[in-house]
Amino acid sequence: MKRRRTLAAALAAATALGALSGTGLTAAAEEGKKEVVIWDYFETDAQKEMMQTLIDGFNASQDEYVASHTYVPFADYEKQLTLGIASGELPDLVILDGCSMASFIELGLFGDISDADINWDEYIPGPLESTMLDGKHYGIPFATNCTALYYNKDMFDEAGIDYPDENTTWDEFREMAKALTKDGVYGFGNAATNTDEGTFQCLQWLYTAGGSYTDIESGVDAFTLMQEMIEEGSWTKECVNWTQSDVNNNFMAGNLAMQQNGPWQIPGIEANAPDLNYGVTVLPKKDAEAGQATSILGGENMGVVNKDDTSGAEAFLKYYDQTDVMVEAMKLYGSYPPKTEAAQDTYWTEDPIQQAFLLQIETSIPRGPSASWPSYSSAIQTGFQEVMTSAKTPEQAAADTQAAVDAIQ
Amino acid sequence: MGFIFTLPAAIYMLIFIGYPMIQNIILSLKNVDVYSFARPENQVFVGLQNYIDLFTSNNSILVTAIINTLVFTVCSIFFQFIIGFALALLFNKKFPGCSFFRGVTMISWLLPVTVAGLLFKFMFASSGGIINQFLQTLHLIDRPLEWLLQPGTAMVAIVVANIWIGIPFNMMLLITGLTTIPADVYESCSLDGANKFQTLFQITIPMIKPAIMSVLTLGFVYTFKVFDLVWVMTKGGPVNSTELLSTYAYRLSFEEFQFSKGAAAANVLFVILLIAGIFYIKLINEEEEIM
Repeated sequence: MKRRRTLAAALAAATALGALSGTGLTAAAEEGKKEVVIWDYFETDAQKEMMQTLIDGFNASQDEYVASHTYVPFADYEKQLTLGIASGELPDLVILDGCSMASFIELGLFGDISDADINWDEYIPGPLESTMLDGKHYGIPFATNCTALYYNKDMFDEAGIDYPDENTTWDEFREMAKALTKDGVYGFGNAATNTDEGTFQCLQWLYTAGGSYTDIESGVDAFTLMQEMIEEGSWTKECVNWTQSDVNNNFMAGNLAMQQNGPWQIPGIEANAPDLNYGVTVLPKKDAEAGQATSILGGENMGVVNKDDTSGAEAFLKYYDQTDVMVEAMKLYGSYPPKTEAAQDTYWTEDPIQQAFLLQIETSIPRGPSASWPSYSSAIQTGFQEVMTSAKTPEQAAADTQAAVDAIQ
Repeated sequence: MGFIFTLPAAIYMLIFIGYPMIQNIILSLKNVDVYSFARPENQVFVGLQNYIDLFTSNNSILVTAIINTLVFTVCSIFFQFIIGFALALLFNKKFPGCSFFRGVTMISWLLPVTVAGLLFKFMFASSGGIINQFLQTLHLIDRPLEWLLQPGTAMVAIVVANIWIGIPFNMMLLITGLTTIPADVYESCSLDGANKFQTLFQITIPMIKPAIMSVLTLGFVYTFKVFDLVWVMTKGGPVNSTELLSTYAYRLSFEEFQFSKGAAAANVLFVILLIAGIFYIKLINEEEEIM
């Protein structure tokens, strides 16, 4: 009997809590303002500060809407969105990985906002394309970035090797990595875990070799390079279970002489390893005749959820569409504004490391865009893992991955 | 009148078990994916096409997932049962601190599976993991093994983790079985001069056979649908070597948005468990008849 009473008390408490949060929600409505709820998966302090600054700025800029944001863990993010489509429990705006946008437009999550008052033509084409389907707009790019090559200057100096630069070829890169591998230090590492995070980093090697996400066999040289370097021990095999944070932690700890990573790691390096003497350059190109290496565009989009009234969400996009707002937010975030003009701010152009990323962005391409991107990503990453663990020869892995990719509608 | 008493249970079963099951079967016979999800007019019945694709298509790993799930389940149950049985025999004897130690062995059952998964992920790490350090100190291996990085050893690692989690479940059910054996049976067979092995194989095991069969079937059902442990430790990798039916169904539905295929994969899992379930019910009925 006692247990039942405790349960009843707990239920009552839960109901009371629900009622309390209910009154919290209506407080905004009482002031006559409409709510704009934003979902994001931002975890670091810098990212949270950026979101709060943006929301405070938006709320102060007008008195019709009041914005707030809800954190949903990245691991659950797409599942929550999918379940939200089925149950109808959705925010007004969703910040999500650029490569997932096409799937969610197709799933009916986002509404057509082509009529919104946004300066569409000021955006960089690649990121903008990822917010569109059949010529219609469903949101705007929020942040853009790509991965490039970080190198530990002290290790290069000690070994008496010249730093890599925009002329470094795959052969030279391989020699560097080999010469720098010793005493528990690996020459190079990247993220190759079997999620899209791994595809995001590995795919650039395939493109640089001449392949694409639908034409794996033309990029077989990338598979060969990876397998040979891993067998030599100069490219760490651990990367098949590494996320991008794992790679950066190992670079900061001095376990890697070079890493492939993005600009969002810079604030973390400054905070946790302020003495690390490192540089950044573009990823190695295939050979002396080839052009600059391709990298893969990363970053987030803001999508407007398909609801009867999208005016609040559109007002927020309109606020973010202002170049100075975007620039301030991206300085905090550690990525680049998705507008050609905004990225020209001296904050980025006068810093050699940031400049290297801006140079790399010029030859970066989006993943897909395709609503079936998750299927492509999973098939391609399986191929990379087969090569890296030496489960298959590069040729066999390329042929099998090609067959898997061809089977996707 | 009896019908009215069963009504609440029947309604509950219909709403919370029957409805989702039928929905899932219907979904698996349609073509719902990322392109047709938002357009019900494009959703059509495709018969068994999803099942055929899952078993035959180039980029389907259903067969691999079934084999992996069977290997995972059989290996897990084999060791869980042997170790659990040994511990049950031990704790069935009364010795000082017996109930304390029996309580301690329950910890692995009480720990949330995701926490256990993370612990084992750290323990199996190739550099700095305690398992490699231990094996190296004993000179059983001369350099660190890449437990979670190699297709062959990744399966060993998740099986070891799952065995550790499942031992207390086996132990507790078997102890309950052991307490039902009357003490005078043992007395009379010791008077007849039976040795320890004869007692074990002629008396103990036959007398708790019903408990053993329950442990094995329930263990099969629980192990066959394990998801969280594998998701935390390997996410089905590397190279699909630890992809189970449960993780594959999740991946299809929530990562690739192939909802109908995901439902079909989940139904394959369900059918296999249904067979185990029917076997279990038949077993219980037979026992009741004997009683």
